[in-house]
Amino acid sequence: MTPLVQARRPGPRSLVTLIRCEAKMVVRDTAGLVVPLCLPLLIMLTSASGASRTVVANGRTALDLYVLPLVFTMVVAIIGIINMPSFLAYYRRSGILRRLGVTPAAPAMVLAAQAVVSVLQALVGIAVALVVAFLAFGANPPADLGRAVAVVALTMTAMYSAGMIVAAVAPTPNSAVAIGLVAFFVLGALGGMFGGRDSLPEPLAEVGGWLPFGAAVEALSSAWAGIAVSTANLVGLGATVVGGAVVAGVLFRWE
Amino acid sequence: MTSTEPAILAEHLAKSYRGRRAVVDVSLRVELGEAVGVVGANGAGKTTTVEMIAGLRVPEQGRVRVLGLDPRRDRARLRQVLGVQLQQAHLHHALRVTELVDLYRSFYPDPRPTGELLDLVELTGQRRTSFDKLSGGQQQRLSIALALAGRPRVVILDELTTGLDPAARRRMWATVERLSSEGVSVLLVSHTMEEVERLCDRVAVLDAGRVVALDTPAGLVARAGTSTLDDAFVALTGRQLTEEPA
Repeated sequence: MTPLVQARRPGPRSLVTLIRCEAKMVVRDTAGLVVPLCLPLLIMLTSASGASRTVVANGRTALDLYVLPLVFTMVVAIIGIINMPSFLAYYRRSGILRRLGVTPAAPAMVLAAQAVVSVLQALVGIAVALVVAFLAFGANPPADLGRAVAVVALTMTAMYSAGMIVAAVAPTPNSAVAIGLVAFFVLGALGGMFGGRDSLPEPLAEVGGWLPFGAAVEALSSAWAGIAVSTANLVGLGATVVGGAVVAGVLFRWE
Repeated sequence: MTSTEPAILAEHLAKSYRGRRAVVDVSLRVELGEAVGVVGANGAGKTTTVEMIAGLRVPEQGRVRVLGLDPRRDRARLRQVLGVQLQQAHLHHALRVTELVDLYRSFYPDPRPTGELLDLVELTGQRRTSFDKLSGGQQQRLSIALALAGRPRVVILDELTTGLDPAARRRMWATVERLSSEGVSVLLVSHTMEEVERLCDRVAVLDAGRVVALDTPAGLVARAGTSTLDDAFVALTGRQLTEEPA
């Protein structure tokens, strides 16, 4: 009675192939590709000209401290809260995950590939916004580059974690988009997407600073200005990461 | 997995959905290199049975072994030697045929070459066509190619030729005959008596979640005292293949 088959999971080559396929799916989904890259860029273009002439602090302008953090956060939030959950809901609804379930590939590979592609797409969106901001509007680099990169990474993790909650509770791709859109606009509104948190009633502004969108915008702004990121922002983003992971871990279903 | 185990061993499987008993008591055995058909009317429990064998569903009762492996506990080992074609093709809709084949090939240590798989299911001419642009029959054929990508030793084919035109159906039958000749064990779920009669060494007749007969096609005909397998099915189950069980 000798075992004849060794347990062998698909290796890195398989994951790379899956990432390539997921990337092609994103590229061929025109709306999913264009909206997260172009909508924030459009918002930047409408406000960058004036903002780039208003110096706020440390030689940094309103473009550096308010517009760019908002644009980066929008890119990451659209991809993390709207796009990624809708892909996962589609995969679950259409039975793609079920089909993969009868191959040696673990469904978690799909999750990993989606996360990698989403991060790459977000980085492209951020890079495009940065290039336009630097070349067309004379934007300044962050005073603390390392801190800014760390905040972007934390923001991505928080938004994808929030997106996993959407993916866990949405029964269909359409409902994932609907829930994702509502979550995006609510978080965005409370986080200063429509005119700054200081224009909100005090309690809402306070809450917005703890929620992931507002926390990300404020933390990025601090990193750009070279001042310490507030504990409230870090706790808000960290709590979203943990909360999203726990909720998704309990509620997410592959089928 | 051991050398003396049957390809598939299912013993007293049972499964319910929301109180409705889809599978009541199903036992069947597929020997190494054997092709066994599963026929039954709609709702007889065929797909639930093969999904339990494939490890997609957990039986409430009974046990399954495929090449001696538990489909749930030994998932990683079993997936390397088991090919499954599900009843409906579920694939990334925007990917092209070759992209899908290459993706599924990447899951296995020694996959069949892409060209060989496409030749096998006659999709070479559609290699650059995206999945959602394929006809239903072409999607079905692609699904079969993916089930064979890892050179499986056991294949489960659920509604192999549903949606295929007669010519494509016969070509698919030739593919299964070739697999059988290579020693691959086959469990074939079908609605077509002609198909199981041609491809299968033995046929399990399911009705209302139970195996009511399991024999060679000739044995089933003789047992039912009829002249054809179609008539034997009606005699054994009291219903037509397309009829829903009460």
